[in-house]
Amino acid sequence: MAVAVGKQRQARGLGNERLREALVGYGFIALPMAFFILFFLVPIGYAFYISRYNWQIFKGPYVGWGNYRQLYHDTVFWHHAVRNTLVYTAFVVPLQITLGLALAVVVNQAIRFRTFFRAAFYFPSLAASAAIAAIATYILASDGLFNTVLGHLGYHHNTAWFGEQSTALPSIIGLNAWTTSGTMMLFYLAALQAIPTDVYEAAAIDGAGAWRTFWKVTFPLLKPAHFFVLVVSIIGAMQMFDQAFLIGGASGGPNYSTMTVVLYLYNQSIKNISFGYGAAIGVVLFVFIFTVTVIQRLLFGKPEVA
Amino acid sequence: MSTEQLPDVPPVAALDELAVERAAATGAPAATGIPGRERGERIRTAIAYIVMFSVAALFFIPFLWSVSTSFRTIQDTVGGFSLLPKHWTLSGYHDALHTFNFGRYTLNSLIIALAITISNLFLASLGGYAFARLKFPGREVLFLLVLGTLMIPDQLRLVPIYLMLVNWIPGWVGHLGWHDASFINRNGVILIQLVSAASLFLMRQYFLTIPRDLEEAAKLDGAGYFKTYRKVMLPLAGPALAAVGILQFQGAWNGLFWPAILLQDKNQYTIPIGIANFRFAYQTLWPPLMAASVLAILPILLIFIVFQRYFVAGVAASGVKG
Repeated sequence: MAVAVGKQRQARGLGNERLREALVGYGFIALPMAFFILFFLVPIGYAFYISRYNWQIFKGPYVGWGNYRQLYHDTVFWHHAVRNTLVYTAFVVPLQITLGLALAVVVNQAIRFRTFFRAAFYFPSLAASAAIAAIATYILASDGLFNTVLGHLGYHHNTAWFGEQSTALPSIIGLNAWTTSGTMMLFYLAALQAIPTDVYEAAAIDGAGAWRTFWKVTFPLLKPAHFFVLVVSIIGAMQMFDQAFLIGGASGGPNYSTMTVVLYLYNQSIKNISFGYGAAIGVVLFVFIFTVTVIQRLLFGKPEVA
Repeated sequence: MSTEQLPDVPPVAALDELAVERAAATGAPAATGIPGRERGERIRTAIAYIVMFSVAALFFIPFLWSVSTSFRTIQDTVGGFSLLPKHWTLSGYHDALHTFNFGRYTLNSLIIALAITISNLFLASLGGYAFARLKFPGREVLFLLVLGTLMIPDQLRLVPIYLMLVNWIPGWVGHLGWHDASFINRNGVILIQLVSAASLFLMRQYFLTIPRDLEEAAKLDGAGYFKTYRKVMLPLAGPALAAVGILQFQGAWNGLFWPAILLQDKNQYTIPIGIANFRFAYQTLWPPLMAASVLAILPILLIFIVFQRYFVAGVAASGVKG
């Protein structure tokens, strides 16, 4: 009898303890959760709500799908913003992935100064995009370092690479392939180091050369990393804003050649104060990015992160 | 709990390496030791060196060129090409800091970056501890919700957050006695970045690797949860705190998107916004512009050199910036 009472008391004590632990737990996560709900979850619904109104400085009349219909017929959006974003993505993604993989493989070799090289390759990914864009503008100016070097090699140019309609976007592609390859390198490096060395030993015993080993052994084993890097890279590319904003300005000049979807979204909502329209662009972009993620998951299966 | 249910959960290998206090992602030497291969191996290594040094040079030339230009006179930037400044001068820095107000912008960048970093360290470690150690109903679901926020792009949030900062938040803080507050400024930039899912995730994963014995001991000594968090867990979480702190500081210091939207008063500009504006206002005044760029890059470079391995872990855990 006494034992039973003791057990009961112990159980109640445990119950209290558990309740206390739960309450403390809720207390500890209260602020972060409130933050995530207010600034991440609420905005999803609110964005859709705003997109159904003609919303300038103040909330205007309800327009239903009006903003979306307007977007559907918006030639600047399709012919410039979407087109540029797709072109940019189509070129920058393979470039930065190839470059990142190549750097990772090289840096993964057992050589001296490995830490230094890794740091050197990674650093452009870390520096402020504004500073990089400023430096790039300087180097790619009509009388800049790039044209000077080209001149010494016999190719005389006085193109301001960011200033002309035909070269602005390709220059941004080159710039960003350079700055993001370091991050891609890091992702690949983590995956490369997860590959057990006996796989290479087996390949070496079979007499496979370095090139063959890479394509037959390393590359297929990196499949999960390929998936991860591809998703991250495509999503990043579709959200490109910094360099377009810094180099082409809010209007994506010259003549819309650097206008991207996100820059257009910024332009419409912050510069034009068409919040309803801006919100509609945001929703469309979100759906698009989400679809890409889902399609990639279906194609490549579940990502197995390192 | 399984974190694999969500796509794009960042790789945590580097994080585990942090946990054992090893340099993250150390290179695994390629398999060698097979007779007759040394020569080929040596040639391959030589080629790798040459490639790496040239690529490293290519990666550094733009930075070195900007440093070189930041010490030039304006006349020295036009015409005749020279690797080093013909007349070394600090006037580029002087002009940037005083005439073009980058002294003020540096201070603003510092305030924003420090506020965001400190807040992330506190909120993410507190929440991370709760998610890693405390049991409460709904814990798994709430954690998935936190990770889910990683999938919501900033662009979708631009308009709603802007309108919330204009219409909702000032009213709410007004009820708390802070009247006529505005958030289309520095306060807004800080407010919407108080904590990030990546920070919280990083902290939680790290706390999961700490053995429970120490907490048990603290519990037996009668320490409460907050005391356990502060006296036992935080001191053990140094590497994760460093990774979160560095990642957040770097992100906030370099930040362009939210400052471009929210900073409208010139006196609150950060360095990146200052550079963006300068570019359009004074096109070819290269020395002060390069000086400003060096100012933007240098602190991050220094932090990077000192804390390289934390950067690696942090980035591996957070995905890539646009």
